[in-house]
Amino acid sequence: MGTESVITVKDLYVNFWISGTGINSFKDVVMSIGKQKALEKKQVLKGLNLEIKRGECFALMGKNGSGKSTLLRTLAGIITPESGAIEIKGSVAPLLTIGAGLEYELSGYENIKIVGTLIGLRGAELKAAVQTIKDFSELSDTDLNMQIKRYSAGMMARLAFSISVCRIPDILIVDEALSVGDQGFQVKCADRINEMKAAGTTIIYVSHSLTELKRICTRGACLENGQIAKIGPIDEVGEYYTQSFLH
Amino acid sequence: MSIAFKLQNLYTLVYTIGLKNIKVKYKNSVLGFMWSMLHPLAYLVIFVFVFSQAFGTIERYPLYALIGLVFWTYFNNSMNQIIQSIINNGSIIKTIALPNILFPLSAAFAEFVTLLLSLIPFVGLMLFFGLNLSAVSLLIIPAILVFGIFTFGVGTFLATFNVFFRDVGILWNTLAPALFYFTPIAYLSNLIPEKYLVFVKLNPLYHFMVLFRDILFYNQMPSANTLFITCSLATVMFVLGLFVFNRYKRGFVSNL
Repeated sequence: MGTESVITVKDLYVNFWISGTGINSFKDVVMSIGKQKALEKKQVLKGLNLEIKRGECFALMGKNGSGKSTLLRTLAGIITPESGAIEIKGSVAPLLTIGAGLEYELSGYENIKIVGTLIGLRGAELKAAVQTIKDFSELSDTDLNMQIKRYSAGMMARLAFSISVCRIPDILIVDEALSVGDQGFQVKCADRINEMKAAGTTIIYVSHSLTELKRICTRGACLENGQIAKIGPIDEVGEYYTQSFLH
Repeated sequence: MSIAFKLQNLYTLVYTIGLKNIKVKYKNSVLGFMWSMLHPLAYLVIFVFVFSQAFGTIERYPLYALIGLVFWTYFNNSMNQIIQSIINNGSIIKTIALPNILFPLSAAFAEFVTLLLSLIPFVGLMLFFGLNLSAVSLLIIPAILVFGIFTFGVGTFLATFNVFFRDVGILWNTLAPALFYFTPIAYLSNLIPEKYLVFVKLNPLYHFMVLFRDILFYNQMPSANTLFITCSLATVMFVLGLFVFNRYKRGFVSNL
């Protein structure tokens, strides 16, 4: 583990902008085009501070709705924060929902090209990725030429996961995405994560399974109500997280 | 990242997703791409039977109606696709950091390509119905571009609000048939009584129909007035669409 910070988050505020329901809120929005307050504001992250070092494997815990996914999405650049500073050094690969962007009517190969393009692969890099994905997913040529709507759930997960991890990023963000495929594939996924870890990838890992977190991570944080309630070595934070359910 | 790089990146994304949209749309149909031609043709047959009786002896009526139908079909299809484009790609928007304008843009791109491809057989059919080609006909290229920009602007404007209020999409589906009859597609614009013309001219599509018919049907240079109105409409809607989109895009993730 290096000493250089790859992720620095300072005083981060993230809001959700929610539309009300019914004819009145519709009118409000239409009447307020160009003004700021058309949508209702809900604060999700409230002044969050976080620092993650290069090569670190960082666990993120917290009850449902504590803001874990929102934090991950903000780090991945999907959500624009309201205020605060985020500094990220290197490429980020988010593994949030598995299978986003897959088009059921198209074949496996076509999907690799489309999703590959969406996650930023171009030209020769994309071509090379096709082979990597094919090898990793263990799907045959016949499988990959088939429309993916005919895939079993496990095959679909294999394809989706393989596309997501086809290159080794500087920072990997994982949101409980690993429980896919059969046992053999799960082992393979864990191996791939370890491989990335060995290659120096910084990993942020969200899970409710403490065993899994302890296996992979050394340090972690527990989120509560949009703020970090506890940060430190994985055992201490894990203990804190377990205790938080007791009262 | 430089602007040139960003544009190049956006172009690659729009091209990939646009092409995917076209593929998926016709994937499971036997006639596939033919449908984009059969739809206006079916209407054309109805119009020729019904309206050529009503309007008596209008020369080259099939050509007149076909010009209107081709561009109406394009506009209607584009609206349907663009308005739903953000919602339909919700899972991607929530998972991958991408310039979100990509989705309305690629929907517009897909329909624009469909229009251009369908124009190949349609121009053949128009020639059969009495289309005269001349130097003026070339104006159809910039005219289609201006209409495309207008369509993208209106669509993006509505697509943005559709994320927060799904009523917008439903409203469009409800109003589209009314707009179809409010626009001189099947009937001749010079049959509209003078006193109603004020209202008809409030419909942006009216001006585009005049533009297309001046070029393709009357073989004449469109009036400065028509050129000014259509170009202004396209510019205003394009800017407004992008403005509203950028203003509200940060609310997408929490409303999809």
